[in-house]
Formats: sequence, structure tokens, C-alpha cells
Amino acid sequence: MKPLLVSLCLAATFALPARADVAEAVQDHILPGYARFTEATRALADIDSCAGDTLRDGWNAAYDAWIGVAHLRLGPVEDDGRVLAIAFWPDPKGIGAKQTAAAFRKADPALLTPEQIAEQSVAFRGLTGMERLIYADTPPEGYACDLALALADDLARMAAEVEAGWRSGFAQALTHPGKDGRYHSEAEARQAMLTALVTGVEFNADTRIGRPLATFDIPRPERVESRLSGRTMRNIALSLAATRDLAQTLYAKDSLTDAAFAKAEAMVPRVDLAQVADPQQWLKAEILAQSIHAIRDAAMAEIAPALGTGIGFNAADGD
Amino acid sequence: MRRRNFLTTLAAIGAMPRLSWADIGSPAYLAAAQTPDGSYSLHGLSLAGESLFALPLPARGHAATAHPERPHAVAFARRPGSYALVLDCARGQALARLTPPEGRQFNGHGAYSLDGSVLYTSEQLAENSEGRVGLWESATYTRIGEIPTHGIGPHELRRLPLSEDLLIANGGIATDPTDRTKLNIDTMRPNLARVTPEGKLVSLAEPPPELHQNSLRHLALLPDGRAACAMQWEGDPAEYPALLALWDEGRITLHEPSLEDSFAMDNYAGSIAYSPATGEIGLTSPKGGVVQIHGADGSYLRMVHRADACGLAASPDGFTLTDGNGAISTLRPGGLELRQNLGLQWDNHLIALAT
Repeated sequence: MKPLLVSLCLAATFALPARADVAEAVQDHILPGYARFTEATRALADIDSCAGDTLRDGWNAAYDAWIGVAHLRLGPVEDDGRVLAIAFWPDPKGIGAKQTAAAFRKADPALLTPEQIAEQSVAFRGLTGMERLIYADTPPEGYACDLALALADDLARMAAEVEAGWRSGFAQALTHPGKDGRYHSEAEARQAMLTALVTGVEFNADTRIGRPLATFDIPRPERVESRLSGRTMRNIALSLAATRDLAQTLYAKDSLTDAAFAKAEAMVPRVDLAQVADPQQWLKAEILAQSIHAIRDAAMAEIAPALGTGIGFNAADGD
Repeated sequence: MRRRNFLTTLAAIGAMPRLSWADIGSPAYLAAAQTPDGSYSLHGLSLAGESLFALPLPARGHAATAHPERPHAVAFARRPGSYALVLDCARGQALARLTPPEGRQFNGHGAYSLDGSVLYTSEQLAENSEGRVGLWESATYTRIGEIPTHGIGPHELRRLPLSEDLLIANGGIATDPTDRTKLNIDTMRPNLARVTPEGKLVSLAEPPPELHQNSLRHLALLPDGRAACAMQWEGDPAEYPALLALWDEGRITLHEPSLEDSFAMDNYAGSIAYSPATGEIGLTSPKGGVVQIHGADGSYLRMVHRADACGLAASPDGFTLTDGNGAISTLRPGGLELRQNLGLQWDNHLIALAT
């Protein structure tokens, strides 16, 4: 009797498509997040005028939705440079601004067709490309408006393609790993999820905060993300909320990690990276970055062992 | 190894018939790995990814090099290295354990001379990271001298084909004597130095000044006498400069991927290999979880995703790729195909054996 029970239990275990952690992350976090992004960009693309605040409102809603999934740098966003084409930041050499200026000089109407826009550089397009137009000193008119509307359509196209890619194959590759797929085992799928979580959290500390923070002696407030639109701190708040949600779906009992998220999130309203030249603000930003690193440490101490995985053997080492 | 044991081993070699790589199944590759129990070993692998032999290592490995004729492999410790282990792969035993002289550290790579009589080891002075090549005669593995690498923090070195000269990737990074803390990122100056076995500098190539923080680290030899070098960018992480340099008699050119694939390597190339079958150069990034493929002229071709991918070597139809999740895969122009997973975590490098 006993051996039979054991084998029944084993059979039940093997019958599951994948560990609930990855499946839940896909069902409850990833797919709904991409659905919101598709919806928000479609609404943005439906706007056909640059008058008033409508376009800015639609763009902000699309940006909010993007931050909900921007930490997921795996899957269809990796193809055709989409992850960069949707939001090209940081851009230390100002490639995007140069390309926008060049497009204005030419003012070529042929560029505005969906086919031509899709062929343009990743630095020129997407949310950051639109931001330069709709948050310029003067409201977009004429060619600038046409370009902004064309970029909105291009963004909606990419969002729809990414969501379709997840639903038609990549979700399956994660939840049903196998030797012919991108992930050979459940352990590899869990590692991919943990990597997305940890790198997503760290991006806030290392890049969103780290770039303007620079050094105490020479802070670089001009390097903030979304400088023109002033979304800088909102992006961080939304990113922490999104990665907190991913952590929860991966491991519901993530009390240490969740507490670390709560602590960092509570600090966000007190920090303004645009004011990082003020020593008081610099220190507050530095403390926020540390509290975000503490989330990473908590996740590695709590969620990584719960998932039975880590960051890669070579990725974590390097030489 | 103590001198007495060492002499015993030598005597044993003399008494036994000489074996060659063919006598142990002609392994195609050498690779170091961590086993599930946490210990480390060096494996000889067939083209299909079967382990033909496994010999224990005292600590985490990095790369290896093989004697051109005798079935001897030298396994190098992870940097800063305190050991290099010469293994008789046919008899499954250690022939010698090399330790760097006082004040020197092994840097994870080495190569044999054309006739196999001398082993060259990549080393640095612990005190200031100045590069040295250790010379060891390979009959008894006794140190016979050292020459300068003409740079700081040397990493991989290769013997140039049909020549006794060495091509040395001086990574340029000075590190703390006791660990890997980087001390000179603002002023680092990597180079590729061609050096004679006597230590004379034949040529020195540096990246352009604005890319002086691009550490030249790993090498692949091309059949036409050129070499390809994989770099690791230590500058502003928001910039994604080229990670491939092509060396041609003392001059280097840099080759970037397309802008949309530029970030995917995460500014880090772990290994580099050239495939004679496809005429392609592959660079791996375990941090980015990708392999990027360039043509032999440096032009960027495509990218393949594989988490923690690092070890890369030529195969009869493309490349063989190893990763930290244990997979041994074949990378052909058509895509990536899993060959074996032995449940080991493969370390940085997969070394192709010429035998």
C-alpha cells in the first residue's frame, strides 16, 4: 500500500505542468500587465489630435502601464529591439534627441507611415521619442504632431505584438519547459523569473537613482529618467509596486521581501531626484537606493531558496 | 606537490608506455565544472558532450590548456589563482601542482609552446598587478623563468600559430592583492601585446582613448593569423560599446552589434571562439544570457538566448556552448540545440583540443 501511495503522489507531482510559482507569475502578473499595456497604448493610438492635454494624459497612462511590465526583459520584448524601442533610456550620448532633431530638419512625410516608422532607430521611437515631442517647450504642431501620433501608433503595434508573443508561445515556454524550448527545466524557468525580479528591482537603485545620484561632489540631476515630463519619481514608485507584485506571485509567503518593499516605497515620496544637487536630497536619494538594494538582498535570502534557484553560476561571478 | 611525490610520479611516467590523447578517446574539449555536492572537477568531453574523464580540482576552476601531444591538461584556478594543476588525463592523476612564486598570482589562463616543451602561465604581481608570463619546462614542470606581459592585469594569453610568440590580453585592471577589488578603473589602459618567448615586445595595440575602460580579456585565434578579442566594459554602464576587437599584427578594430542588440550582453563578454566551419566569431554573455555572432570581418550577424551561457568552442558544424545550468548545446546557424545535461555547472571556458 505504502509504495503505491508514494508512486501516486509522484505521478501527481509530475502531472503538474510546472511549479505554481512560475505559472502564477505568468497568469496573475505578466499577462495582465501586458494586457494593460496593450490597452493603454491602443487608447493612446486612438487619439488623433495634439490639442489640449489629451495626448499627454494618454501617454502618461501608457507609460504607467509600461512600468508595470518594464522589468520583464525576457520574451518577445527581446526581439527586434522592442524593449529599447518602447523606452530608450538611459541615453547618455543623446542619440534619440539627435535623431529627433534630424527628422525635424528633413520633415519627410514619407517617414510617418507605419512601415517607415517601424524601421526607424530604437532611440528615435517609443515613449521617450514621444516625450521629446509632447513635452517640448512649445506644444507639437504640424510635423511634430504628426510624428507624435505616428509614434503612438507604432507603440500600440509593438505592445500588441509583445502581448501576442507571450500568449501564443512564450508563456508556454516558461510554464511548460522542455529540452527543445528556451527553458529546459522548471528550475531554469524559476531562475528566469528570479532574475527578472532582482534585475528589475536593482534597475531602480542602480540606474533610475544611480545615474542622477552620481557622486556627492558632482551630482547629475539632468540625468533623471523622464526629465521633461517630470515622471521620475512616479516611475520608481510604480516599478517598486510592480516588482513587489511579481515577488508576491512567485512566493506568497515573502514576508521579509515584502517588508523591504514597504520600507522603500514609504521613502519614495520624500525623495525628489530633480533636486539631487541639494545635499539633503542627495542623502535621501542615497538612502532610498540602499533600501532598494535591501529588497534585492531580502529576495535573494528568502525567495531564491524558496524557488530553489539563484542568479546564474557564471552571471554572478564573472572574469 | 611535494618534491618527493613529484619525483615518484616522474619515475612512474618513465616506467609506463607513453599515452596520447587518442588513447583516452580523443576528447574534443576540456571544461571545469562544479558538481552538485559543491566540489570542482575538470572534464574531458566528447563532441556529443559525454564526459570521457573527470578529475578533481582543489578549488573553483576557470580555464585549461592542453599539451599538444601528451594527454596533459593544465587546469587553472579562478583568479586570483593560487594553483594550476597539471593532470595526466590518461592515468587520471595529478602530475604536478604549480604554485606561483612569492608575490605572484595566476590569472586563470595559460598556453604551451609550439612543441609543448614550455608551459606559459598568465600571472600578475600581487602588489601592483603588473603582468608576468611564467615559464615552466614541461618535462618536470619546473619554473625556468618569467617575462613581462607589457601591461597590467593580464588575462588570457595564446601562442600565435606557426610562431613561438605569445599574444597577451592585458586587461588593464589593477586589483587588490587579496581579492578582485578593482583599483584603477579611471586610469586603466588595456592592450594586446605580441611578445617573444624572451619577453621582447613585438607590437602593442590599445583601444582608442575614449574606450580605455574596455578591458581586453579573452582571445580566439583566426586561421589567417589575426585574432579576435572579447572585452568587458568598465565605463558608464549606460553606454554599450563594442565588445569585439579584431587584432591584425598590432592594430585593432572594434566591432559593435546593432543598436537594438547592443545592451543584450550587459557590457560583458565571458568567452570568445572562432568556428572554422561557419567562419563566425561567437561571444558569450552569462550576465545577459545571450551569445552574439559576428562574421570573421567583425560584422554583426545575430543573437541567441541562453541563460548563463559562457563556455564556447568550435564544433564541426558551428559552436559548442556550455552554461551554468549544465547544458552542453550545439549552436549552428539554424539555432541552438541541447546535446547533454550532466547536472554540472560549467565554468567560464570550454577549451577545444586540437587532437
